[in-house]
Amino acid sequence: MRTLRRLRERGILGINRRNLDFTLRWNERRLYPLVDDKLQTKRLLDAAGIPAPKLLAVVREHFEVRELPARLEALGSFVLKPSRGAMGNGIVVVVARDGEWLLRPGGRRMRMPDLQYHAASIISGLFALSGHADAAMLEERLVVHPDLAEVVSDGVPDLRVIVYRGVPVMAMTRLPTRRSGGRANLHQGAIGAGIDLAGGRTTRAVQGTEPLRRHPDHGRPLLGRRIPGWDRALEIAVRATDRTGLGYVGADVVVDAERGPLVLELNARPGLAIQVANGAGLRPRLRAVDDAWRPGLGVADRVARGREIARAASLRLAS
Amino acid sequence: MTRAVLLVGGLLVLAGTSLFLWKATVLDLPVIPSRVEGLWRVELEILARGGGRRGSVRAALPSTGPGQVIFDETSAAERLVFAIRSEDDQRTGVWRGRFTGAHRIVHSFRVELSELEVPIPDEPMEPPESVRKAFSRASAELPAGAPDVRAILEPLGLPRPSDAAGRLRMLFGFVADEIATAETGSEDALLTLGAREGRPEGKVRLLVTLLRAAGVPARPAVGLRLPAEGSPERVVWAEAWIAGSWVPAFPVEGVLGRRPEDVLLLRSGSLGLVEATGVEAVTSRHLALRELLRPEELGAMMVPSQPVLASLSLYRLPVGTQAALRGLLLLPLGVLVTAIFRNLVGLRTFGTFMPVLIAFALRYTSLATGLLMVAGVIALGIGGRLALERLRLLLVPRLAILLCVVVLVVTGLALTGRTLEGRAFFGGVLLPMVILTMLIERFSVTLAEEGVRSALVQAGSSVVVAVAVYPLFRSSFAEHLMFGFPELVVAIMGVLVWIGGYTGYRLADVWRFRSLARTAELEP
Repeated sequence: MRTLRRLRERGILGINRRNLDFTLRWNERRLYPLVDDKLQTKRLLDAAGIPAPKLLAVVREHFEVRELPARLEALGSFVLKPSRGAMGNGIVVVVARDGEWLLRPGGRRMRMPDLQYHAASIISGLFALSGHADAAMLEERLVVHPDLAEVVSDGVPDLRVIVYRGVPVMAMTRLPTRRSGGRANLHQGAIGAGIDLAGGRTTRAVQGTEPLRRHPDHGRPLLGRRIPGWDRALEIAVRATDRTGLGYVGADVVVDAERGPLVLELNARPGLAIQVANGAGLRPRLRAVDDAWRPGLGVADRVARGREIARAASLRLAS
Repeated sequence: MTRAVLLVGGLLVLAGTSLFLWKATVLDLPVIPSRVEGLWRVELEILARGGGRRGSVRAALPSTGPGQVIFDETSAAERLVFAIRSEDDQRTGVWRGRFTGAHRIVHSFRVELSELEVPIPDEPMEPPESVRKAFSRASAELPAGAPDVRAILEPLGLPRPSDAAGRLRMLFGFVADEIATAETGSEDALLTLGAREGRPEGKVRLLVTLLRAAGVPARPAVGLRLPAEGSPERVVWAEAWIAGSWVPAFPVEGVLGRRPEDVLLLRSGSLGLVEATGVEAVTSRHLALRELLRPEELGAMMVPSQPVLASLSLYRLPVGTQAALRGLLLLPLGVLVTAIFRNLVGLRTFGTFMPVLIAFALRYTSLATGLLMVAGVIALGIGGRLALERLRLLLVPRLAILLCVVVLVVTGLALTGRTLEGRAFFGGVLLPMVILTMLIERFSVTLAEEGVRSALVQAGSSVVVAVAVYPLFRSSFAEHLMFGFPELVVAIMGVLVWIGGYTGYRLADVWRFRSLARTAELEP
């Protein structure tokens, strides 16, 4: 009972309220394909000139799978992923080649026929949200910005920003670990590190619900790290969600060493673990957005408003 | 929760419960079933097809007698005249008329069964002339004079003729122990004797023939075994006249001097249940439903003092429809439990209603069998994935292969299941099959999409919810409550509206965010 009261006092958002008051209310069902289908998202981002990983090829039909080796010939590294995948499932990253072997992160490797089978599985809809036929996307492999890359031992860390009615309200970075198998998935053991929206630094880190100060794989400190390109990351996250028409979105951003922040994908049902990573509830911030909302504000104004709200919320928490 | 949700939910709950309370208090309808034993509703359905000629259909009807009370009998038939003929305590329903096209005849009654003990009198008594004449002679069906029959009687060393009880015991022992029961055997007395095995009818005819040959008046009898769940089974036995009483003898079951409490006598003297003349084809079947209420309570449920309700009573529907509705009306309770587990507790289950469907499938088997089946499916899902992964098959054919394996396993069980819980298992195998197929699909897809751990967690939660729902689906109280008071479905809808508008924490949220409730945790 006391736990319940505490959670309520701290404004922790539960699943039921997220569904009823936010996703159901602000995200129109018909707009979901825009974010569930990464090809549509990509088209949307390209049209708006928002930076995103380059799309190298799309494989839609089974006969195209046979041509895959020829199409990949010129590429040393790439990422193969399902267009409608969920939670990072079905993604294969190839970092280099060694004869007939395709080398994957973490010292794993596979042959071309394995990759073709994987592409066929993607097309059959094995990894799709609904199990319907899907398309396999080939994307450029990003080189993670060294500031972030040094925190992880393996895999691609990303940034997750919750954008509510065009205002960023909370953010974290997801750091893969050996336990998560190189995936930036908190359920599978990746670290979630809360980011102070105003300052762009990590403030708190958790694995599961356990708070951490150092990375469990190599012991490097996790807190107080500056996120490279933070201002730009917030700006493109907000611009990307503006294009979708959705009101409650989780934007996933990767910071590339050369190109800076890129929007990887958007999520219409963002998870709630971000609250644990930040040690703060979403509700006060969402309420503040509702109270201060005015139509016609530009992206910069809204980002500034989001930072103010986050700062006020953390000050209130500290007092 | 918004005010609209609160209000709509409240109205529905109020409407449902107030109608329920009115029926329970003002009309005084029974809310708690009184746990009656041995009360059934039985329905005989006959389908006859004729080519325009006059004809008749005759069916054996049970009478009130020792061990059984028949009441509340109704009969319905299109374009036919119905009459009941009674001779020597045996009632026969006769439907006459011109048979053109298909005719459906339904005769239903309620019966209260109790075990019938007939002690075998040991003092000798000469049977009266009428009994001897009717039940001692040989016939084509009961060839008591045949040489084979005489030949088998002599080496048995029967007691002296005045010891009818002793002769009965000896002949009963011979047929029960020396003659095997086989579904592939014969129904004829002499063929059964020659092969030393026969169908139940063959064994009963043989016993009656031997008794008659040994000078003990005897007759065959036929009736129904009424199960707690499922359709009734035809059962045959012999009756021997010993010193004034008809002693039942069940050579297949090995029961002598007693009629089990679940056996209803339909006819004695012959094994025929339905006969017809002047029609082209006739089929018949018996349906039975276990009653949960005492006869007077049933009366109140069927004809409440309120005329509108009386015309709406589900208790007046045909037996088959009632049986289906009794299952159907339990579903809202099941989905309510599922909604509680998913939205208030926060368990992740397969699909939305998979747990309800699993529980519904379990209803047709025992809990242990059902859970074993679910575990088997999960093992098959994982095993099949491991085995088929090397072959690199596409999703749909791979699932289809798993389904073929399930079919083979069920077929294999059918071979071994004859000795196990065979009947219970195959009584309702179709529905569980469909549900298991869906389970396989959900499980395999989750396995591929989210990994073994997540698939097992979801399978586990689905089973937990199914096991929570299962007792409701098996409870005769819940069944009576929902069937007798279907307005409760409206109340359940109201509660579902409330749950649907509940924005508070789930139990799983509290667990996930428990660290955020501790003050010290938040210090950086």
